[in-house]
This record gives sequence, C-alpha cells and structure tokens, in this order.
Amino acid sequence: MTQALQQDAPLMQVEDLAVTFYSPNGTFRAVRDASLEIARGEVVGLVGESGCGKSTVAFAMMGYLPGTAEVEGAVRFEGVDITTLSTSELMELRGNRIAMVYQDPVTSLNPSMRVGPQVEEVLLRHLDIDSDAARTRSVELFESVGLADPDRIGRRYPHELSGGQQQRVVIAMALACDPHLLIMDEPTTGLDVTTEATILDLIVELKDRVNAGILFVSHNLGVIARVADRVAVMYAGEIVEQAPVRELFKNPSHPYTAGLLSCVPQPPGDDGVERQLSSIPGTVFDAQTEQAEECLFAPRCPLAQESCTTQSPPLVDTSANGHPSTGSGDHLSRCFFPGDVTSNLWGEALARVEKTHEQDRGPVLNIEGLRKFYGGGRKKYILFGPPVARPVRALVDVDMKVGSGRTIGVVGESGSGKSTAARAIVGLEPKDRGSLELHGEDLEGNVHDRTEDQRSAMRMVFQNPTASLNPKLPVGHAIVRALRKFAGVNKQESTQRAEELMEAVGLDPTFLDRQPTELSGGQQQRVALASAFAANPDLVVADEAVSALDVSVQAQVLNLLEDHQRETGNSYVFITHDLGVVRYISDDILVLYAGHVAEYGPSQAVLNVPSHPYTEALLSAAPVPDPDAKPTHIRLEGSVPTLRGAFTGCSFAGRCPRKIGDICDTTPPPTQDGPEGDNHFINCHIPISELESLQKADSGARAIAG
Amino acid sequence: MATGDSTIRPQASTATGVAKVWHAVIAFFTLVLRTNTGRIGLAVVGIHVVLALIGPWITPFPPTEYHIQDQYSSPTSTYWLGTDEKGRDIFSRVLAGARSIIWIATAGTILGVTFGTIVGVTSGYLGGRVDQVIMRIVDWFLAIPSLLLAILVINMATQRFRSVDESFIIIGIIGISFMPNNSRVIRSATLAIKPLEFVQSARLRGEPTLYIMFREVLPNVLPVVGVEATIRLSFALLLTAGLGFLGLGVQPPEPDWGKMVSENAIILDVAPLASLAPGIAMASLVVGINLLADGIRQAQNLPETGDR
Repeated sequence: MTQALQQDAPLMQVEDLAVTFYSPNGTFRAVRDASLEIARGEVVGLVGESGCGKSTVAFAMMGYLPGTAEVEGAVRFEGVDITTLSTSELMELRGNRIAMVYQDPVTSLNPSMRVGPQVEEVLLRHLDIDSDAARTRSVELFESVGLADPDRIGRRYPHELSGGQQQRVVIAMALACDPHLLIMDEPTTGLDVTTEATILDLIVELKDRVNAGILFVSHNLGVIARVADRVAVMYAGEIVEQAPVRELFKNPSHPYTAGLLSCVPQPPGDDGVERQLSSIPGTVFDAQTEQAEECLFAPRCPLAQESCTTQSPPLVDTSANGHPSTGSGDHLSRCFFPGDVTSNLWGEALARVEKTHEQDRGPVLNIEGLRKFYGGGRKKYILFGPPVARPVRALVDVDMKVGSGRTIGVVGESGSGKSTAARAIVGLEPKDRGSLELHGEDLEGNVHDRTEDQRSAMRMVFQNPTASLNPKLPVGHAIVRALRKFAGVNKQESTQRAEELMEAVGLDPTFLDRQPTELSGGQQQRVALASAFAANPDLVVADEAVSALDVSVQAQVLNLLEDHQRETGNSYVFITHDLGVVRYISDDILVLYAGHVAEYGPSQAVLNVPSHPYTEALLSAAPVPDPDAKPTHIRLEGSVPTLRGAFTGCSFAGRCPRKIGDICDTTPPPTQDGPEGDNHFINCHIPISELESLQKADSGARAIAG
Repeated sequence: MATGDSTIRPQASTATGVAKVWHAVIAFFTLVLRTNTGRIGLAVVGIHVVLALIGPWITPFPPTEYHIQDQYSSPTSTYWLGTDEKGRDIFSRVLAGARSIIWIATAGTILGVTFGTIVGVTSGYLGGRVDQVIMRIVDWFLAIPSLLLAILVINMATQRFRSVDESFIIIGIIGISFMPNNSRVIRSATLAIKPLEFVQSARLRGEPTLYIMFREVLPNVLPVVGVEATIRLSFALLLTAGLGFLGLGVQPPEPDWGKMVSENAIILDVAPLASLAPGIAMASLVVGINLLADGIRQAQNLPETGDR
C-alpha cells in the first residue's frame, strides 16, 4: 500500500470536491465545489466565515467524513484517492503521513494521561521503534516545538500546562512521524492573542524546518496573512478565490474577498485617517438550499448583474485580467467581473465621522477603587474553621470614568478581570469595595438593590448571542419585557415599539414571534441589542459582544453600535480581547492585567509610545491582515497568573519583558502621568521618558531590520 | 403594518387555550414516534391505558363475583384466563385491577415530580446557603425507606381511623419518597441553565426572582422533568404493586395486581395464571413505560440520568 503512493504526484490534490450530509433534519451541502492543491513545503491558508465548509474540506483530506456524508470528486494524497481507501488503509495514513492539529488543545489531549506517553503512543503505533527510542524522540519533539524543559515536560498532565504549551504538545504529536501533510484546523482560535502570536511564530518557523505541506484553516485574515503562502477563500461551500497571499490581500479579484478585507478594522493608514468599516449585507447562502445556475454570492454582491443569477461563474485565471500579477499565473476567481473588483467596491474608504462630545455634562459612570475578590468565604468545615484558600484577586482598585457619548474599551487576556469588571459594573457580581457612581448617584453593588431608573439607564449585551435569548420563549419576549419594565407602556404599545426597535437594528419585525433557534447568530445578537436599547439607556456594557460573530456580521454590529451612539449620545463600556476592534471603536482604553489597571487613557495615547510594557506586548501580538506587516518581536509566554491574598509588587512582573529588577516583585508600581498629561496613566516602575526612548528605539530597530 | 398586527395579535392570543394544548400533544407524539423504542413503548402503554379506561364495560363478569362451582378453572371459552380459588374470573380481575394501580402510580408520580421540580428549581436557582439547607433536608428525606414508611403510615392510619382510603395515603407516600431524587435531578438541570445569558439579562431587567425561576428557567428544564416523570412512573407502579403484595393498598375484595400475585401464589400449581397474569400485566406495563422514557430521551438527545 505504501508503494502505491507515487512520489512525483502532487502532495494533496482536491478536485471538484462536493460533500453532502443527509440527516433527518434535511440535506446539507457543506461543500459544493472545491479544488485545491498543496505542495510540499508550502502553507495553504483556507479562509471563510463559519458554515462555509472549510472544516469539511480539512476533514475530507483526512478521510474523516461520517457515513452520512456523500462525497463526490477526488481527494488525492500523493496520487492515491483517499475516498476509495479502506478504514485500515486510512489508519495507516492518519497520524503518520497526514496529521491534524485541532482548534481546542484541551479536548485534543487525554486529560488522564501524562503528555509524554501520549506522544510516545503515536510513535509506537506508526514507527517500528522500542519504548526507549520513543521516549528520546518525544523529548526531541518537545524541544523542536519550543517547549521549555523538554526532558521533564512529558511527565506533566495536560491540566498542568498552559493553553499555549498544550497546543505545542498537540503540534509535537502531529509532527511525531514526520508527516507529509499537516492539517491545522483553527489551531490558534481558542488561544489568547499573546499565545496565538507565539504559536504562529512556531508555525512560520516549522514551515522552513519540516518538509511538509500545511493546510491552515482559519476565519481570521490577520492570522492567515502571517503564515500562509497561498490562500483559498471559501464561500457557501465553494472556493471563490485562490491566490498567493500578497496578491490576494493587495489585489482581491472576487467581491467577497474584497468585502472580507474591508470588514476587518485596520490600523489607520499612512495618512493617519481612520476608515469607516464597510459591511457585507445579508447572510451566508443557506447550506440546505439546492444550487441553481447562479452565483451564490449574487444576493449580497454590489457587482451583481442579470447574468449572475442565470449562470454559475467558472473559476477563471485572472492574473492577466486587468491586474498586474506577480507572474505566478495562479490567481483564480469565481466571478464574471474580476476586473471590476477594487478596494472601493464596498463603499469609498470614508474617514470616520468624528463624534461630537458633550464633555460638559460630566461622566456618566465614575468608578473608584473597584475591588472584587473571589472564593474567600470557603471555610474548612463549611461554615466554621480557617479559610480553605486565600481569595482570588479578580479586580483590584480599578478607577475609570466613562464620559457621556464616549466609548471606553477594556482589554486584556483571558483571566485579566475584564468580564468581572463588566459584571461588577452592571451588578451581577456585587463589588467588594469601591464606589460606582452613575450620573453622580451612588450605585448599590447588587442589581437587585438598584432603582428601576438605574437599571434602565445601564444595560448589558453578552458575548454568546445564542444564550442571550431564552430558547423556549419567542424572540420578542426580552424586548417587550424590557419595554414594559422601563418605558412603562402597555402590552399593545410595547409590541409596536418592539417592532420599531427591530427595524432600527435592521431586522424584520415579523421575527418577534419566531423562535430564537430560527435566527442566525448575528440576528440573535441584533435582537439582544434591540432589547438593550429598548429604554434608551445612557450606558451599554458590551462584554465581548462581537467576538462570537463572523467578520462581516461583526462589522454590521459595530456600525450599528456606532450609529446608535451618534443618534442618542449613549456611552459604551466595550470589553474585548480584540485590539483591532478596540482601536476602531474606543475613545478611551483601559488595559487590565490580573485585575490591576496597567494603563488607562485616551485611545491615541494608549496605542502609541510610550505605553505600558503589557500594552506594548498586546499590540505586538495582535495579528494584522497585511502580509507585508513587519513581524513584531515582543512575545509573552505563559498565561495571566491567579493572584491570591496579600500580593505586593507589580502584577505583570512575572512575564514582563522589560522588568528592571527586584523592585518590580516587591513594590507596587507608581501611577505615572503620560507625556501629554491628558488623563493618561501608566502603572509602571520605569520612568515615562525611559519607556518612550526604549520603545522608540525598538520600533526603529525593527524598521531597519524589516 | 402596525394596524394589521394589532388586529392579528389578539386573535392569536385568544386561540392559545385549546390550540396550545393541541400543539403540545402533537409535539409530544411526533417526538415519541421519532424512535423505534418510543413507538414500541407508546404502543404497550397505550394498550394498557385504553384497557384500563374501557375495562368496566368489557369485563365478561363483575370482578368480585364468585362462581363457587367453577373454582380453579383452566382457561376456557367462558373464563379466558381461568378462575381463582373463589371462582372469580381472572381476566375480569386483571382488567379491573389496572385502574387502581395506574391511578395511584400516576397521581403519586405527578405529586412527587411537581413537588420535586419546585424544590429543585428553587434550590438550584437561589444557590448558596439556601441551596445547602434545602439539599440537606432533601438528603434527610432520601434516607427514609419508602416501603417501610408506607407500612408504618398505613398501619397507624387504619388503627386510628376506621374507614380510610389507603390509596390516598399511598399517593402521598409516593409523592414524598419521589421528591428527593427528582429535586436533585431538576436542581442540576437548573444549575446548567442559571449561568446562561438570558437569565442574567432577566436579572438585569430587575425581574422578580419568582418570575425568573418559573417563566425563564422552568421551560428550559421541562424536557428533563418529562423524562424524569416517565422513569419515576415505573418505580411508582412497582412500589404500589409491592404494597399490594404485602396486603396494603386497595381494600379486598376489590382486585389489585400485587395482592392477586401474593394471594394466588399458593395455588400456583393448580391455577398458575391466577398469579402469573397480573404479574405479566405489571411487567409489560413497566417495560413499556421505560421504553417510552428512553424514546423521549433519545428523541431529545438528552443524556442518560445516572440517578436511577
């Protein structure tokens, strides 16, 4: 069987692949038409929104599709069609010649086994070696994926490793048998930006070191730009565009690709003008719908003509078609008018409308010394005895002001306390200490004890749109209840107002009577927004409100939030881990680390030098959707520590790349005013002027190196 | 738009009464009929229920009528399943016995599950100290052996009061003894719903706690309640039959499956069907109910509850 694999054939060749799932709930055309080739030594990025079939293509390459799937077309691995192989032949390939890295390292590793034996298991299964040799090899593998202390890390259990280390172990396992093809399905999606950056560095480095073809599946254009050589864009089960990475990002020749690129918040260009986000209207073509002779993207496309709805466009080479190509001749696009695709296709790159701030009205929300500790109450004998553990310091003395009509972005890695801050502000988690003032009026810690007016003035939008609506009650329930509670209107009037609200967030009012499960994630999040906007709140706390959404929908929701703010002058506390989004939407930024404020100030001041070393590291780690972006060098290993009890010193000292000495471990950092003095604060031991010169020197060095 | 809706909406809400129940019934049957397990279970239980309902009109003889000349009869065309030592028709007695046992078990289960659901949702949603206290009380209830409690209460009650309907005591005891297990299952289901965002936003709207518990949370744990109730029903049947076997329950000479098994066990060699027939009826009903419960659970993709 091994002999059958032809060495001269392309490594992986997917030809006219179509995958259809038959289930009692209907027929799902997950992949309609995908052709893709991967050669040894190259990284092919596969990008698209959720439900477009990119994971199904990845699974088809492993021969992992369930029996309910009907596969048409060919998936040839080194010349052998995988779809025709038997189970035992496939087992021979998987883990050995083809290896896969999954999204979530926690579920990829067996929690009850030490990680070393898990890697050795793969080696013993596929290679003809004894257990001593397997052990030596596993240590080599751990070293090659950059795990510190490779000799001993194999004796740990998965839960004793950080998320980044776990993913490195999974990658080591995938590399165990020197696979020819490595499939990575969203390998960094579940990780923090800082960890993501280190894993991406590893993948870029591996690309040069191992002679394997890599398929890199991701929804994140920034990540794809960083690692891929060639990119295929999927939409509704079809590959709509395929090109070398630079070509794709600079000269997209399919309207969908151009749309995706203009949906991602970008750093301001050279002219320093911030661009308004454009968004792709409508939703992804339904996988259950049978395809007619038409372009699947036509309903959402600004270029759509008569012919787009009567013929399906073929995949054509556009490298000579109006676009000056790099000469590779492999820029394919599934569009009739590839020449008409320009960067202004989705609306002119408008400079953002400046907000008019009403500064004189004073802050909407004023927070001083906000503190929340968890888990201090547990005693040895339930109600009596000494405390079991010292309380976890989730939030320590956080100060911030939310000006009226302004947006404050709260950023940090997971575990930095940003969600706790949101929950303490709205009163879901009563604060331990500190003061919360809404319009100068003291707020109770628990939402239950606040007045109706206070509750109606401050609303919240959550991360998970599906769980934000009660699945057993009609969509309109939350909106109508909010209206009746806060606006004090009767049943009939509230229905009418609810319909107006639905229209305001761009939804059909008939959705009110539907079941939440019939709506897409983006639509559900709009309903959640409508319910939050119901009583014209002064402040909306958005906890990762766009993180679970696809980029095109994310842009729609961000624009909706901004429009609403421009119309009503409300304020936002916008919590997110995505620096691109924060940069786009925020007027002020609060950077949290392990419950402590690292930096706080107006956006421009926080994002530019000098900044706190943690802000600097976060910015450095954020992926930029530009293949020409110079790789930054500051990387943080590990994860946010859990600080307990009477901690002194700087919370960031343990991971700080700019740590100056013992003072960082023993003394809390002083609060320093930024150079402009405009309410910009940095909590660091390094003097501001020194920070500034250090960081300027670094970016200068990078510019020269790049 | 607005005028059209204001005319349509009130109609829709007035039609809810009957239509809602009808929709729920249709939904239940489509759910059960989705799996083979559910179909078989529904068929078995359906036959039992129909026979119990129309029993009094189709029994060939009154179930308590003596036919002294036809003692220990084998199955004949007159007595389809034979007769017992007093010459009573066994077929008639099995049919008539179904009524009391199904009534007692169902009523007891509904009582226990309703009570358990209220306790479970309250304890799970409120959490903290309240949860601790309620659950310790529930644990205390759990320690009471239901059979012994039944014997004790029935004996005390019959001594104290001459005429007392034992079936209501049994219903009460089933309710009390099923509450703890049920409330634990419902509590854990509630704990899974409680942290979800829609519950949080109800809290942020300032909804009363009772409203959140029973309007927002309860509908989401009802599928669990349904499966739980069906499983409990078979236990209730076994408990009722067990009490009948020990002579507690329906007053003689009214037929009772448990009692028929025990009093006819001594004539097993001469008239085997006298005790086997009610036993088989009992077993098939319990199996049918368990299949039905499995069918509902499979159709809803709920995990198996380990707590049996």
